[in-house]
Amino acid sequence: MTIPLDVEPAADQAAGPGDARSGGRSGGMARYALKKLGGAVLSIAMVIVATFFMFRLIPGDPAIAYTRDVPLSPEQLDLLRKQMGLDKPLLEQFLDFVLRTLRFDLGTSYEYKRPVLDLIGERVGPTLLLAGVGLVIAVSLGLWQGTRAAWNHGGRLDRFSTGISLVLWSVPTFWLGLLLLMVFAAGVGPIPGIFPTRGMEGVDAPDGFAYILHVGHHLVLPCLTLVAVVYAQYLLVMRSSLLDEIGQDYVTTARAKGLRDDEVRRRHAVPNALLPTVTLVFMHVGFVVGGAVSVETVYSWPGLGLLFYEAIQGPDFAVMQGTFMVLCAAVIVMNTLADVLYHVLDPRVRST
Amino acid sequence: MIRGCVRLAALSLALLMAGIAAPALAVQEPAAGKKIVRMGVTQAVDSMNPFLAVRIVSSSIHRWTYGYLTVPDSKTLQPSADLAESWTTSDDGLTWTFKIRDAKWSDGKPVTAQDAEYTFNTVMKVDAAKQANGPAVENFESVTATDERTLVIKAKKPQASMLENPIPIVPKHVWEAAGDIGANENVVMPIVGSGPYTVIEYKKDAYAKLKANPTYWRGKPKIDELHVIFYQNPEAAIAGLKKGDIDWIGRLQAPQFESMAGDPAIVQWNTPGRRAAYLQINHGAETIDDKPVGDGHPALRDAKVRQALHHAIDKKALVDQVQSGLAVPADGSIVPPMYSDFFWQAEGEDLVAFDPAKANEILDDAGYKKGADGVRTMPDGKRKLELRFSIHTEEPVEDKLAQFLTGWFKDIGITLTTRKLDSSKFTEETGFTGLFDIAISGWSVNPDPEEVLSTHLCSRRPTAAGEGGGTESFYCDDEFEKLYQEQLAELDRGERAEIIKQMQRRLYTDAPVIALYYPNNLELYRKDRITSITPIPENKGILYGGSGYWPVYTVDAVAAPAAGAAAAGGSIVPGVIGAVVAIVVVGAAGVLIARRRKSNADERE
Repeated sequence: MTIPLDVEPAADQAAGPGDARSGGRSGGMARYALKKLGGAVLSIAMVIVATFFMFRLIPGDPAIAYTRDVPLSPEQLDLLRKQMGLDKPLLEQFLDFVLRTLRFDLGTSYEYKRPVLDLIGERVGPTLLLAGVGLVIAVSLGLWQGTRAAWNHGGRLDRFSTGISLVLWSVPTFWLGLLLLMVFAAGVGPIPGIFPTRGMEGVDAPDGFAYILHVGHHLVLPCLTLVAVVYAQYLLVMRSSLLDEIGQDYVTTARAKGLRDDEVRRRHAVPNALLPTVTLVFMHVGFVVGGAVSVETVYSWPGLGLLFYEAIQGPDFAVMQGTFMVLCAAVIVMNTLADVLYHVLDPRVRST
Repeated sequence: MIRGCVRLAALSLALLMAGIAAPALAVQEPAAGKKIVRMGVTQAVDSMNPFLAVRIVSSSIHRWTYGYLTVPDSKTLQPSADLAESWTTSDDGLTWTFKIRDAKWSDGKPVTAQDAEYTFNTVMKVDAAKQANGPAVENFESVTATDERTLVIKAKKPQASMLENPIPIVPKHVWEAAGDIGANENVVMPIVGSGPYTVIEYKKDAYAKLKANPTYWRGKPKIDELHVIFYQNPEAAIAGLKKGDIDWIGRLQAPQFESMAGDPAIVQWNTPGRRAAYLQINHGAETIDDKPVGDGHPALRDAKVRQALHHAIDKKALVDQVQSGLAVPADGSIVPPMYSDFFWQAEGEDLVAFDPAKANEILDDAGYKKGADGVRTMPDGKRKLELRFSIHTEEPVEDKLAQFLTGWFKDIGITLTTRKLDSSKFTEETGFTGLFDIAISGWSVNPDPEEVLSTHLCSRRPTAAGEGGGTESFYCDDEFEKLYQEQLAELDRGERAEIIKQMQRRLYTDAPVIALYYPNNLELYRKDRITSITPIPENKGILYGGSGYWPVYTVDAVAAPAAGAAAAGGSIVPGVIGAVVAIVVVGAAGVLIARRRKSNADERE
C-alpha cells in the first residue's frame, strides 16, 4: 500500500483544506520572513543598548578595578582612562559605542591589548565544535528517548529515562564536569584515566587525520558533560508533544489500518510531534551556549566561555561586553531561524 | 527526510566515537628519550610581549627566556650578575655603569649594551611599553650605551633598588624590525631571547613549549624541554598531576594542596611564602590633600583602639582554623619572614600578644565604657563601637576569618558585622572612597620590599576626585615618610635593611594595618618524574612564582621512555579499553543501522 507524505495527515487534520491560502503562499512567506528579520534586528539593537548600560551599572571604576594590586600614579591612571574612553561624558561614550559596534568594532581588550573581535574570532571555533557536537548528540538522544518515553507513557522505561534526564538536568554543570574529570580523566581505583584532563589538544599534537582523532579524544568528556546537562529539555519537549499526538484520530486510524505499532509511531505520530520540537531545538540553543561556558571552564576548553569567564575575573569590560553581545546575537539569530523554519515546516502556522 | 537525518547523526556519532577511542590504541611518543618537565599553571598567559605582560605566568616565562641586568642570588636573594657581569656607582649614587656580559641571543647574534639601551629607552619613551614595568624606569634620567659592552644609567635621585630592575632585555635587531611595540604579540617562533630556555611553540590558552637554550652563557639546562600547560581550574590541574599529565604545579591553596597528602608519588612542597595577609584599618582616611574622605568609625582614629583590636586577635588560631596550619602567625608586619634580610619581628615591649584581658583593660582605661548590652561606646557616649568588616564575595577563607574576628571582638565589647563586596567595589571602597572600618588585604612581596612599603606613603592616597595611586592603608605618617626617603638613598644593604625594619616597626605599633599571618608557599611535584630541583632561596624557598630562574634552570627529570617501552608498559590498559570501547560503539552503531535497513525492507514489501 502507499503511504502519504509524512506531514500530510496532520496538515489536513489541523488546517483542513489548504486551497484557500495557496495563492499568496510565497509572497506571504517572504513578508513573514521579513517581519521576523525586522524583529531580530530590533532585538539586536536592544541588546546593544542594554549591553552598554548594563556594563556601566557594574559598581566600581574599570580603570581602578583592572589595575588592582598594581601601584600606578594618578597620571598613569588618567592615561588608562583615556585609553578606555572613560574620560568622556556618558552620552558621547554611548554614541561612540553604538557607532563602533555597528562597524563591528567591539573595542580593545584592556588585558590582552588586542581587538575584542580578534579574540572572539580565535575562540569561536572551539566553542562551535563543542556546542555543535554537543547539540547534535543532545538533540538526537533527547528526541529518541523522548519518543520512547511517550510511547510507553507511564511505563518503567518512561519513568526511568525521564527521571535520569531530569536528575542530570538539575545537576550543576560544574560539579558533574569535575566528577567526570576525576573519574574518567584522572582515574579512580580500578577505572583508569583514559581521557585527557584539559584542553582541546595536548603539546606535540599529531598532524593530519591523527589530529582529528586527537581533538576527538579531548572532546569526549566536555561533550559528554554538555549533553548530560542539556538533553533533558529535548526529551521532555518531544515526550509531551508526542503525547499530544497519541490521542489524535489519525493515530487511531493508522492503527485501524492494521499498521504495526512501530510504524504508527515512526511514520505518523513522530513526524507531527517533531514540528514543535524543531523550534524548541533552536530556541534552546541559548541553554547549550550557557552550558558550554561552565563546561569550558572545567575542561580548560579554549572557547568563548573561557574567554567570558576570564574577562569576568579581570574584570575586562570590553571583552565581557563583546562576548555578551556575540552570544546574545547568536541566540537571536537562532530564534529567528527557528521562527522562519517552523513556518516553512508546519502548514498549521501559516494558516493562523 | 527526518529519518535520514537521524541516521546521519547516528553514523557521524559512531565515527566520532570510534575516532575518540583510537588514539589510545596508537600510543605515540614523540618525546621518547627526552627529559621533559611539564608544569601546570592556573593562569592564562596575557601576552608574550614582555613590555605588556603583567600576569605572573607570563613574567615567569620571560624570566626563563630573557636575560636581565641582574638576578636575585639563589642563596641570599641579593642582586647578582646576570647579563650585567659587574657594575659601579658614582659617588653621588646617580650614575650607574654596567658591564654587559659576552653572551649570545638564541639566534646566534651577540648580546650588546645597545640591546639594553634600546629596551630601557623603549619603556621610557613609548607609552604602550609602560604597561608591564613602567614604574621601574620612573627614576631614570637617561640610558646610554657608550660602547658594545658598557651601559650607563643616569638616575634622577639616588635609588637603592636600582639593581633590582625587573625589565627583561630584548634583542634590538628583532624588536626594531617588528614595528609597533604595543601591537607586537611576540609570537614569531622561536622567540629570540638570551635566557636558559627558548620559547619554540605557543598556543593561546593551551600551552607554551620551551626548549633548553644550548648557547646559554651559564650552560645548557639539565632538561631538554619545559612545557607550561594551562588549566582553567585548579581541581582539574590536581587531577592532571595525580594522573601524570603534568609533573609540577605551584601557587596552590590549602585545600588542593592537602588533597594530595599521602600520595607516594607526590612531593608536598610547603615552604615560607612571599605573601602577607593583613587587616587594613580605617584610621581616618584622607585624600592626598589631607581632606577627610569616607565614613570610617571615629574610634579607629585612636591608636589605643587599634592596639586593643590587635590584642584581641588569636593569630595562631587563625592559622590553624582558617589556613589549615599552612601559614605562619604574623609577629611582624608586611614583609614575610622568607626575606630574612628585611623581615622584622616584634619582641619585648613591642610585641602585641593575644590577650583579651589586656585589650579590655586598654579600652576601659581609654574611656570606652561598656553599655548594658555589653557593647562599648565612645568616651563621649554618642556612638557605639559597632564596626564593619569588608571582605570579598565568594572567598570562603575570608568568611571563616570574619567569623573568628566577630567572636573575639565581641569579647572586648566591639560589634563586628561582615560586608561582602565584589572585587571592584571592594577595591573602590577600601582604596579610594574610604567607605569601610576594617578590611581584609594582603600583598605578595618581592625580594626588594620597596614596592610594598611605598603603598603606605602619603603620595599614594587618592585625590579628592576618588582617583589615585593605590594606597593600602590611607597612611600618612611623618616618621614613615622620613624613613622611606632615607632607605631610598642608603646604598649600603645592611644599613638600608635596618631602616626598612624600623618602617615595619612603625607600621606594627601604629597599626594602620595589622598583619595576621604569612601564608605558606604550597606546591606539588611528582618525584617519579622530577629528580632534583633547587628552590629560591636554596634553603626552604619557592619553586614556581619566585624571582629568577633558578628552579627551572636546575630542575632535572627522568627521561621519557622510548616508544616501544611505552607501548609494552603501563599504557597497555587504556589501549585495550580504548579498543574495546571502539569495537562496542562501532558494532552497536552497525547493528542499529542494519536493523533500520531491515525494518525498512520489511515495510516496502
